[in-house]
Formats: sequence, structure tokens, C-alpha cells
Amino acid sequence: MTVYVVRRLLQGVLVLFLVSLLTFFMMNLAPGGPSSLIDFQSTAAEREARLARFGLDRPVHERYLVWLAGAIRGDLGTSINQGLPVSRLLAQRIGPTLTLGVASLVLAAVFGIVFGVIAALRRDRWPDHLVSTVTTLGMSVPNFWLGIVMIILFSVQLGWLPASGSYSIGRGFELGDRIRHLILPAGVLAFSLMPNVVRVTRAALLEVLASDYVRTARAKGLYERTVLIGHALRTALVPVVAMIGLIATVLFSGSVVIESVFGWAGIGRLAIEAANGRDYPVILGVTLLAGALVITVNIAVDLLYAAVDPRIRHG
Amino acid sequence: MENRRPAHRPYRAIRPVVALALAFGLLFGGPSAAFAQEADETVVLNLATNADPTLNPWTPGAVIESNLINTILFDQLTRYSPEDLTPVPALATDWSASEDGLAWTFELREGVQWSDGEPFTADDVAFTFNDVIKNEALGAQSASQFAPIDRVEITDDHTVVFHLNTPFSALPYYLASFAGIIPAHVLADAENPLEVASFNKDVPVTTGPFKVAEFVPGSFVRLEPNPLHWAGEPRLAGMIFRVIPDPNTQVAQARGGQLDVVTRLNPNDVAGIGSGGRLEVLQQSQNLFFFVAPNHDDPRFDDPRLKQALLTAIDRQALIDSLLDGFGEIATGPVAPMLGALYEPDVPTYPYDPEAAGAMLDELGWTVGPDGVRERDGERLEFAMPTGQFGDLVPATLLVQQFWEDIGVIADVEVMEWNAYIQDVVVNRNYEVTLAWWSMPPTADVAPYFSCDAAQSGNNIPNYCSEELDELMRAGRRAITLDDQIEAYSEMQRLLAVELPYLYLWYPDILTAKSVNLHGFPEITAATAFQHAVDWYVAR
Amino acid sequence: MADVAATAPSRAGARRAARARVLRRIARRPIGIAAAALLLVLTATVAIGPELVPHAPSRTNPLNVLQGPSPEHWLGTDELGRDVFSRILSGGRVSLAVGFFSMLVGLTLGIGIGGAAGYFGGRVEAVLMRLVDVFMAIPAFFLILVIVTSFGNHPVTIVVTVGLGFWAQMARVGHAEFKRFRTHEFVEASHALGGGHLRVMTRHILPQVLPQATVLATLGVGWAILTEAALSYLGLGIQPPLASWGAMLQNAQGYLWRQPILAVWPGLAIAITVLAFNLLGNALRDVLDPRS
Repeated sequence: MTVYVVRRLLQGVLVLFLVSLLTFFMMNLAPGGPSSLIDFQSTAAEREARLARFGLDRPVHERYLVWLAGAIRGDLGTSINQGLPVSRLLAQRIGPTLTLGVASLVLAAVFGIVFGVIAALRRDRWPDHLVSTVTTLGMSVPNFWLGIVMIILFSVQLGWLPASGSYSIGRGFELGDRIRHLILPAGVLAFSLMPNVVRVTRAALLEVLASDYVRTARAKGLYERTVLIGHALRTALVPVVAMIGLIATVLFSGSVVIESVFGWAGIGRLAIEAANGRDYPVILGVTLLAGALVITVNIAVDLLYAAVDPRIRHG
Repeated sequence: MENRRPAHRPYRAIRPVVALALAFGLLFGGPSAAFAQEADETVVLNLATNADPTLNPWTPGAVIESNLINTILFDQLTRYSPEDLTPVPALATDWSASEDGLAWTFELREGVQWSDGEPFTADDVAFTFNDVIKNEALGAQSASQFAPIDRVEITDDHTVVFHLNTPFSALPYYLASFAGIIPAHVLADAENPLEVASFNKDVPVTTGPFKVAEFVPGSFVRLEPNPLHWAGEPRLAGMIFRVIPDPNTQVAQARGGQLDVVTRLNPNDVAGIGSGGRLEVLQQSQNLFFFVAPNHDDPRFDDPRLKQALLTAIDRQALIDSLLDGFGEIATGPVAPMLGALYEPDVPTYPYDPEAAGAMLDELGWTVGPDGVRERDGERLEFAMPTGQFGDLVPATLLVQQFWEDIGVIADVEVMEWNAYIQDVVVNRNYEVTLAWWSMPPTADVAPYFSCDAAQSGNNIPNYCSEELDELMRAGRRAITLDDQIEAYSEMQRLLAVELPYLYLWYPDILTAKSVNLHGFPEITAATAFQHAVDWYVAR
Repeated sequence: MADVAATAPSRAGARRAARARVLRRIARRPIGIAAAALLLVLTATVAIGPELVPHAPSRTNPLNVLQGPSPEHWLGTDELGRDVFSRILSGGRVSLAVGFFSMLVGLTLGIGIGGAAGYFGGRVEAVLMRLVDVFMAIPAFFLILVIVTSFGNHPVTIVVTVGLGFWAQMARVGHAEFKRFRTHEFVEASHALGGGHLRVMTRHILPQVLPQATVLATLGVGWAILTEAALSYLGLGIQPPLASWGAMLQNAQGYLWRQPILAVWPGLAIAITVLAFNLLGNALRDVLDPRS
């Protein structure tokens, strides 16, 4: 077990190294440079002086080696546009992203499993069709568009929920306030994640319900609901858990756009700001952090998978 | 030719003359008792910024998201009069130029303290200019605007002399244009005084009426009153600059009462603010013009008549009405009407007339070919017109392209990502025509954008060079009295209107939405308003 | 579909039976049929529609901007006075083309690389699947963001990049399926008869993977359209004079207060089209690939 985890972690490090290599060389192909250094109203002499100050006049491979040497020591460099250490920026932004991510994951999982169960139990009847239509809609509507529509409706027209930010500035920590800010972005994100959960839950449950041992259990005269909860759902959860790893990556992608719509100060918005501003060290840092999280989640999911499904053994 | 005024200016009427007079009174008299009784001093004002600001006015890239908050935090030697934008005292109380215009003496205000309690002295001024702006290795923001300054000499603790390499009559204006003084005692020892994170991104040491209390990156910057401020204590309990990147969200929050001031309001969002509610929209000015730059490395532009024809073919009022919802004015040159006496209205303005434009091109030998495109000696009248994704540049470019197509001129538009555009078009001058803008201090001294020595590498993007023009601009810089300046700059503007180094498009209105309860807010320009933040108050 | 393919002897009969079963399943999926019909109509409309409309989609008219729907302009005009209806049609061309070709890129790369990994196994598998891991580790949108800001927003770049955004997922499927089939009898039989690797892979295994690939491809088009729209929303998508629905939506966002309806049309167009692809994909999944 330990050997397995160590091996997976080492593989992860290798993957991260390749990601950094790919990202670094790719982003340096683009014309232009960090936006704070080549600002529109500056003169050529000013731009050159600034690029030289940040060592950006040196060849790409040389800069990569410098960066890599730092990264190995745990120093991800300093943001060119913001003048802050990348690690500090990441630390500031990861909290809000995780909050949003976990909230939408929980929402998506709870509603997804409930709807999935309903759809499976009422297979091919109207509840199934309704669930499938609504969830397919969730996959089909651009989530930023939905976000804008929600802001117009709930913030502008009705004034029920805040349009932007993760808490009311100037107040201390208030749980209610945080939740009010979380509802719209997490709801929109969950709406686009839920279809996956519904589909997997429904399929898994149908498979289990058709399997021999549920039939046996029924034959033994166990009450329908006991059968469902006791056996079927537990077995059906296995693929759902496996799904969460995949969802984590989707979640990161979704957060890029949703954080922009809702002014959420997370990793996703940092990524956009860095990409638009050509802030090389931050782009690298964000990509690596996202990669590390995805890898970690996947390892954790695999272990969890083993825990819920005794047939799987990692040796 | 007459200067056509836009017909549609819906919000001009709301500018109350009273507020101007009031702010003017406050400026010299300090908060007077007559108004003090109305102020609710418990109010915290909410403002928006589109990204995390950098709290150092000279750090490269500290522009749109930073310069208004920095204007509040960092006092300058001079600031603009809310009445007519002439420079009035701030950290400097008095100034005078030598006979030859090459040395300017500034008397500094005594008893001013930095927010950490240290005294403000001539050291800070010398440090800001000699060690930061004039240190070319740092590439400080807007450093090129101060090219005429040689060095700053300290005469005593509260007197400095600016030594210039060429006369620069606009110096006090430039010193009022986003030119905050930064503290020597905090930054002098830094390896790079422009990149001190604990200063730029946390709690800087400042002289302004408000100081930073808390900076949460990605979320907000909270300011609190600076009780040590030389003009007295502000009349607000604080300010919060919220980081809200999306302009629609800014408007939505303003409507919802969560924002009291929205600066740089997009004209198309004015409808969102509405009228008669808790917010009013101010139409402010700025010495800013949009243009189409012809690249004068292209010999076709040697003859100004081609440029005149191209400008005549553009319905600029239609551009203003459609892109800006009418919030702008047709530009006649680089000097905006807000400059009053220095603005020369009596110049050729090339009103929209596609037929006349066509006739002008016919005369130049560019005749319509079989495919409807003009050509001369087998060469098509076609221009590479790259544009960058920024603000209204892309839609404006597409409209200009259409107007030219209507008279048989082809513009090949290529839309580029903004950084790539700057590199390729602005730095490498790799274009034939391109649409952009210049934002300048409120003076007629536009040399950084027009002079021969700024061609090819400086801000003279069109690479236009004329000895006649350079001489007129030097005359303007030498002229100390307003009358002499008016004379030199009027002639300059007349020449610029004929030669068209740039095709002038429009002067946009700078729109600011503010709470109707917020008073003491100078309305003439946004920079002026923020330079006088000490006078802002909310009526009880 | 494994049960259908595995037994060679009575293949013709089994195939006929399978086809009948598939047809019966299709008949029970009216939503899928409706979605397919809708997509056919949509594709035909955006293919020939832009040639028939009276207003050129990129013809600007600054004197007639942000108009509401009228007999002259069925869906009104946009911020530059362009006819929105014409632009929805021509934008549909761009969006559907980007969606389709991106899917093709992702599918080809995914099945090709994943398939090779699964088929050959050993070191090839180890190297190729590590590559897949790299791409799986970067959330698709981050990858796309980096590539588009690096290589610019040329339409071909967008198509390839969006395709790259989901090829790794396809590769996982290709890998698993090819691995599953490579030890099957009919594959070994083909080898015995002197069939080369390429022949075995394309002639024998690929058809087995096709049903699942069709499902993934259908859903993939929808995903690609959404992704391009999101890129456009962030200002990184297809650039003028071309305009995808996503780009139209992004433009409309600047006029949310002056003319909110402008944001409705492209949003609806995206939602309806992607919904149709997803409904069709789901129906196909039920029909062709009942295991999942």
C-alpha cells in the first residue's frame, strides 16, 4: 500500500516536471511580454530597461533552468506584474477556490445522487425523462451565461443575493454572509457538474438492481427500500466516487470562468489575470498547483475506491 | 470650418455649478464650518477598481487599476485647480522659473508628515526624481514624460531646484499628473524601490489624506483617514476600493447600493446607472484623444492630402454616437477643448463627406478600379490595419474599415491580443494604419507624441517628423507667459490639423458615477477629484 | 457491444439481430430522434442560410446600432449596426465548425494514441500513457488558456487547442478498449493470417470501439462549442471578422444595460445546439453502448 502511494507520488512529480517544461516553453513563444513591463504608453527604452531588470532578455532555456533551480528549493519566483512571491499569491487564492470547489462538489453530489436514484427507480417513466432533460440542460447552457443571467435576476432585479465577491468587506467572519455569497457561483457550477453524477449514479444503480444478489435479496423477501439502501446504493457509489477525480479537473476548468463572472478571488481568476498579463512565473505556478491538486485528488480517489470496493487491492 | 458639437449630451445638465464653487472654496479655505455641520463623518465610501492596485505611482504597469487610489495616497508637488486645471499648491507651496527657463525652484510645505510620523523633506523629492524617475535602469512608469529634467538639487530641507536640459514651461502641469512623491526613508535602501512588496501590495508609507489600513489582494484595499494630513483631517470614516474586474458587476453593485463611486464608467453602462436614483453620472474631461495613426515610413503618406481624404471619409459623429452613446466630441487635434485658452478651435476639421473624400482621392490619382477598389499605377489603395483587443479599439477599427470601404479604400484588419499588439505594432511599428489613443497631462505640450526624437522608438507611433513642428513645440516649451504659450501652441495646432500626423477621431467624455449624497467632489477631471479627496463628504 | 462481436461463427445472424435491437431501441428514443432532426436542420440552415439573408453579417452601420427586433432586422442589430440574425447564422457556421473539427482532433489523437498504447502495451504503453497523464493533470481549461495566449487566436489554433483539451479523456477510452480487444480470438486469428498491426487495429478493433467513440464524439462537439464560447467570453476566442456565438455573447456583455436582449440570442443558440448534441449523445449511448 505504502509502496503504491510512493510510486504514484513519484509519478506525479515527474508529470509536474513535464507540465512545467511544456508550459514554460510554450508561453515564451508568444510575442510581447508581461503587461506591466511593456505597457502601451511606455517608450522602447523604458521597456528594454524593465525586461533587463527581470532577466527577460536572456534566452528561454537559461531562464527555465534558473526557475527550475528555484522551484526545486520551493521558490516559485516572484510575480512580474504584481511584485509578490508566487507562493504567496497561490496561498491567498487557493482558499476561495477550494471553498467554491468543495461547495459545488457537495451540491452536485447530493442533488446528483438524489436525482440519479429517482431516475433509476422510475426508469423510462416521466421522472426519469424530466431528470435527464434538466441535467442535460445543465451540460448544455454556457455556465458564464447562466451566471450573468442569475446575477441580473437575483442580484440586480430581486436584490436577494450579492453579485460579486466571497464576503462583505469590512465585516468579520459571518457564516451566513459567506453562504449568501456562495449560493450563486456554487449553484451555477454545481448545475454544470451535476449531470455527470446523475448519469453515473443512475447507470450504476440500474446495473446493481439488475444484478443477481439484489434479486436474491428481494427473493428473500427484504423490503424494497432496505434492499435499495443496504445493498444497491452502497455498491453504486463506487463508480460515483471514481467520478469525483474527474469532476475535480472539470471543477478547476469551470472555476476559471465562474470566478471571473462572480469576482471570486481564486486560482481561476489568477490564471486569467496571469495569462492575459503574460505573468510567466504566475502562469507556471497556477498550472503546477492545479496539476498537483488534480494528481493528489486522483490518488486519494483511488485509495478511497479501494476502501469502498474490497475487490480492488493496490500492491 | 465649424466645430460640430455632438447633439446628444443627455447628462451635461446635471453638473451643478454650486459644487464647483464649493470645492473651490474648500480648497483655499479648508473645510469651513458652514459645510462641516452637514457632513456625516461615520460614512465609509465604497469604490471599485478592476484589478489589484500597485501602491507605488512609479512602478511599471501601475496604471488603470492603480492611479486613482495612488492619487489619494501619494500627494504630489502640485495638483490641479478644480476650477480651470491650472497647477495649485500641494506638497509645494510656491514655485518659480529662472529667466532662461532651465531652473525651477519649488518651496516645499513645512510640517508635512509621512504616515509613519517621519517628516517630509526635500530628500523625498530628490529621491523620487533623481533615484527613481531618472534612474533609467528602473524603467519607471511615465519616466519619459520627465525627459527634460536633468536632476533635482536640494537647496535646503524645504527647497528644491529642478535643473532642466531644455525649457519646459509645462513642468508644474506634469508634476500634477500622477506624479506622487514617495518616501526616501522607506525605499532608498531597497534594491529596486519600485518592487518592494511590503510597500506596493500591503501598507505603503504615504502623505495623502487617507492611508492604507488593510490590503487583501484580489478582494479590497481599505483606507482610513490620515489624522496627520496637512490640509486637515478628511471628513469620511474611510474608503474601500473593491476589486471587481467585470464592469457589469460594478454597475450591478452600484445599483444595489454597494458602491458609491464608479470611475471610468463605460458609456454603454450609463443606462444601467439610470437617472434620478441614488447615483448621478458626471461627464468629466481628460486631455485624451483617439486617433488613426498612419505609419509615415510608408511613402504614400508623404502627401498630407491622402490623410485628409481618409479623415474626411470617416463619419466621426456616427462613431461617437454608436460606440460612446454620444459621450464624446469630435477631435480637432491633440489638444482637447478642456484646455481652454490653449485650445485652438480655428483649424480645418474635415467634416464627414464621402463624396468630397472620393474626389480628393481622384485628384491624387487614386481612381476606382474594376473591382471597386481604388488604385494608382496598378497599386491598390490598401492598408494593413492591425488592432489590439482593448476597450473600443476593435469595434472602432471595424467601423473605420467600413467607412473607407465605402469610398474604395481597403483596410485589412487583423485583431491581435493586446500584449502582442503592443510588441508588434507599437514597439516594432509593424503596421500601415492603426487605431489607438493617447492620454496626456492637461497641457498643450505634446512633444513626447509628435517630436522627431520620439519617432521610431518613442511615443511618436506614426514616425512623423517635421523640423517646423519641432521648432514650434520648442517655442511652446520656452514660453513662460500664458500669452506666449497660446501663440506658439495655436500655430502648432494649426500645423497639426493640416499635416495630420495622426487622424484625430474623438475626445471621449470620462464618465464617473457617484452617489448624489457625495459632495466636495470636483467634477472637472477624475484626477482632480481624487487629488481633492480630503474635501469629499457625505451629507447627513 | 462485446457480446455481439466476440463470436465469429453466426456473425451475420447476430448482426441482423443486433441491428433490429438497435432499431427498436432507437424507436423508443423520440428525444434522440428529435435532437438528430434538429441538428440536421441547424446544420443545413447555417450552411446555406448566410448566403440567402439580405444583410451581410459583417456590414456595419453606425447610424442603426442596438436596435430591437423589427421586420427589417428580425433579431435587431448589434453594437455596430450589424444584423443579428445574419450574424447568428454565420456565427453558427463558426461555432459548429469549431465544435466539429475540435472533436475530430481530440477523437483522432485520443483513439490513435490511446489505442496504440493499449494495443502494443509494454514500453509504448508506459510512455504514451504518461503523456496522457500529463494532459489529464492539467485541467483542460488551464491548458487551453496557456496555449491560446501563447500561440495566438488563429481559428486553427483554437480548433487544435480545444481538441487537445479532451483528447486525453478519449485516449483513456481508446486505451482501455484496445487493450481489451487485443487478446480476443479474432484479433489473434487475424495475426495468424498475416495481418499487420495497422490492419488489425483499423480493420478489426476500431469497428468495435466505434459505437462508444460515436457517443463520445457527439458529446464532444457540444463540449467543444461550450469551451470555445467560454474562451471567447474571456476574450481569447475566434477573432473578427469571424464571429462565433461565444464571441457574440462576449460583445453583447458590454451592452447588457443598453440592449440586454443582445445577450439572449447567441446564448440561446449555444444552449439549444449543445442541448441537441447532448440529447443525441445520450440517446446514442443508450442505443449503442448500453453498458454504461
